[in-house]
Amino acid sequence: MSTVDASKTSGPAPVTDNYLTHTRGVWSWLFTLDHKRIGLMYLVSVLGSFFLGGIMALLVRTQLLTPEGLIMDQDQYNQVFTLHGAIMVFLVIIPSIPAALGNFVLPIMLGAKDVAFPRLNLFSYWLWIVGALCFVLALFTGGLDTGWTFYTPYSIDTGSAMGGVIPALTGVFILGFASIFTGMNFVVTIHRLRPPGMTWFRMPLFLWSIYATAIIQVLATPVLGITLALLAVERAFGIGIFNPALGGDPVLYQHFFWFYSHPAVYIMILPGMGIISDLIAVHSHRHIFGYSFIAWSSVAIAVFSFLVWGHHMFTSGQSELVTVVFSFITFSVAIPSAVKVFNWLATMYKGTISWNTPMLYGMGFIFIFTIGGLTGLHLGTLGTDVHLHDTYFVVAHFHYVMMGSALIAFIGGIHHWWPKMTGRMYSELWGRIAFTLVFIGFNLTFFSQFMLGSQGMPRRYASYPEDAGFQLYHILSTCGSYVLALGFFITAGYLIQSLIGGRRAPANPWGGRSLEWQCTSPPPHDNFAEAPTVGDCYDFSVLRWDENEQGYVWREDVSHPANEAHT
Amino acid sequence: MMSLLTMIGAAAPSKEATFWMPESASTVAPMVDGLMDFINIVCYIFFALVVAALFYFAIKYRQREGDYTFDSDGPTHNMALEITWTGIPTIIVIVMFWLGMQTYMDLRTAPANSYDVNVTAQKWSWTFQHPEFAVTEANELTVPANRPVRLIMASQDVLHSLYVPAFRVKQDVVPGRYTSLWFEATEPGTYQLYCAEYCGKDHSLMLATVHVLPWDEYQTKMGKLAREYEDIPDSQLPAYAINRLYNRCASCHSLDGSSGTGPSFKGLWDRTVNGTTEFTNGQSVGDLSGPGGEYELAENYIRSSIVQPQRHVVQGFTGAMPSFQGQLKERQIDALVLMMKHLDQVVDADGNIIESPNLGGDDAAEPEQEGASE
Repeated sequence: MSTVDASKTSGPAPVTDNYLTHTRGVWSWLFTLDHKRIGLMYLVSVLGSFFLGGIMALLVRTQLLTPEGLIMDQDQYNQVFTLHGAIMVFLVIIPSIPAALGNFVLPIMLGAKDVAFPRLNLFSYWLWIVGALCFVLALFTGGLDTGWTFYTPYSIDTGSAMGGVIPALTGVFILGFASIFTGMNFVVTIHRLRPPGMTWFRMPLFLWSIYATAIIQVLATPVLGITLALLAVERAFGIGIFNPALGGDPVLYQHFFWFYSHPAVYIMILPGMGIISDLIAVHSHRHIFGYSFIAWSSVAIAVFSFLVWGHHMFTSGQSELVTVVFSFITFSVAIPSAVKVFNWLATMYKGTISWNTPMLYGMGFIFIFTIGGLTGLHLGTLGTDVHLHDTYFVVAHFHYVMMGSALIAFIGGIHHWWPKMTGRMYSELWGRIAFTLVFIGFNLTFFSQFMLGSQGMPRRYASYPEDAGFQLYHILSTCGSYVLALGFFITAGYLIQSLIGGRRAPANPWGGRSLEWQCTSPPPHDNFAEAPTVGDCYDFSVLRWDENEQGYVWREDVSHPANEAHT
Repeated sequence: MMSLLTMIGAAAPSKEATFWMPESASTVAPMVDGLMDFINIVCYIFFALVVAALFYFAIKYRQREGDYTFDSDGPTHNMALEITWTGIPTIIVIVMFWLGMQTYMDLRTAPANSYDVNVTAQKWSWTFQHPEFAVTEANELTVPANRPVRLIMASQDVLHSLYVPAFRVKQDVVPGRYTSLWFEATEPGTYQLYCAEYCGKDHSLMLATVHVLPWDEYQTKMGKLAREYEDIPDSQLPAYAINRLYNRCASCHSLDGSSGTGPSFKGLWDRTVNGTTEFTNGQSVGDLSGPGGEYELAENYIRSSIVQPQRHVVQGFTGAMPSFQGQLKERQIDALVLMMKHLDQVVDADGNIIESPNLGGDDAAEPEQEGASE
């Protein structure tokens, strides 16, 4: 059982056999069953999509520098904001943490050799690729200008929406199955492959959040698939489901769509919260505060997420009674979110906080998520939502949550597990510089949009009235987006540089105690020779810094749980 | 509860735009703004607490050089504390929900004596009909001040949403059903009206202006609007059409020859008379004109394009135009036909509308000008 002893892998000497070098050649990657390689392929694909979606975002921001629109006509702008939304939601945020980081980390955290169904895992990845190609096809079949929400009857009317609707719907449908299979895989893996000693309440909180997410993926995504299939059938064959001209109901579509897409918001944010729970604890070197409150709040959020979809429709024409009920339930989500923030802060209390790049992202997350969460109050409150609905206030709010929180957690997670994934350390200095740019750029971009929205600027506008006083905020926002983009380019730069010239990573560079820090960096093909035994993954007092290793090792004067297990 | 809100609202009676909210000009606006202030204050307090703790802990407990021993003696759990920070936010959000619901019910419940206006939304224009005065306005809504106004709204095509920031009201306009909203404007003036639900290409140009007038001025203006096209001499109809009706066409049909969602009006009359306009079905206007043809008179083609736009769609366009049947009076259609005929007299070479065109004093348009234009 001493194989899990971190101190055994002493010295920075390169490990000869790891998952990266285990087999060679393109085919060994494309058809690998190794969860780590699949995770890495997801990571590259998601970051590639993020680049494209980011370019679209910069085009949108540049267009809005002037009231009449600077660089595009209306049709072009409508396509660009649609693609920005669709790419970022379906190709970036939803798969980002679960499929990329989750795939890599989850089995190792469980001390397992792989997920429960490795072939299904590979199939999910290839479904994702096919789904992404469908989006490309949509561009060549007339483009897509419906917004990522595909609202009816606009999307159904072939005289209105552009020709790429059906390919895009097909793409989302297929991506949905990639997501369902991944979720199912994770649920089974967590149920069946936990190692001896890891009871539910000894799992790292990241696993709790991934588990809650996976439940939503499995239960909610089929509804989206069916809804979009109905929409495609209606557009192709004129069967009246959502189009009032054919006897359908456009508001019904919104109910169906948000029945998935609201839980999907939590598919995006829950894994981010999980990463932050672990990031804050590891880099504060302090036991997580209120473990069970955080774990249960993930489950509570997953349950509530199914009951609040109507808050996307407060002004849609649904009945007043329904609106009031949804407003009430919506506020219930605020509580577990607030509880998590308080717990993270309490974790930092009396900690030993490393100001390194992953922790900076962790603290940035708390700052940004607090703003994102609090501004949800304005939108959950009916009296103010009527004014703010479909304005830039909403745009700002969901960017604070989706981008500033979910994606920032993703980037933080990449920095946290980068040494594990690649076996290399990146430049701390450049990491901190890039974080500063990302943080300032993000807040400049999106905070100005709160004022823009509450002053009355509607969403999805390619131009705006000159005398409404919007331009100053738009200019601030656009400047912020350029700073943000610079931050991301620098991040890409030093991460790529680290692959070539980075210092070799120790097994445990940060002082983490969950199992992934007990195998080498990068891990061997099989992760662990045999299932390791687990202790309290948030008790960091048993670790000490080792100068030779340039990482953390087990203290000699503390007995290892692997040994305790036998007593 | 409401007294708290009105108290906060009364503390800031300003009608001017504030940092957060635009100018306010309706009876519900102070309530909404008061609620906004209340939520903002709650947010400021929580944000300050969280960020203060974040920075304080991050600095006070930062890892110092060589500080590599971590104790496990800090608290990992405190039931009383956790119940407290779950309970207090719960109470606050219940209060917030309640206040929000009260304001919402006020926003949604139109007073019994409301003055009704019918609204038709279509890509990408607004039509406002005042049944009391038999007046139809396009992209301009004139309403009386200090009287509740209820808008009964319908859409001709896709989802739209009527939004007037200064009144703090918004409601989606849904095809296949009627929706409504109400407001009582308090300040005479002009206010911006937006479409807030994405509706396609010219969504961002689907704007209208709300004119709030004192009741007597309002009545006078309605009376004038009700008769305006009847009293205008025929020779002035092109000017009336370009100034009062064209704004409904403007988002799709340019005056300078550039193609939009629909063909430009520039040269349209010539293309019709010469029969060169081609349709998506392969026919051209020429095939249908001439003796016995559907469009024997060029005027008939223009008329048909307004009331039955899908009948023949011009080559290169998608046929996105809605029908204006019933929305335009016969005399207004006459005015549009005459506008097409005499477009070069009301529009200059660059496509700008001429402020005071010289249309001559005779009542009928001279037929000999037909071939001579351009």
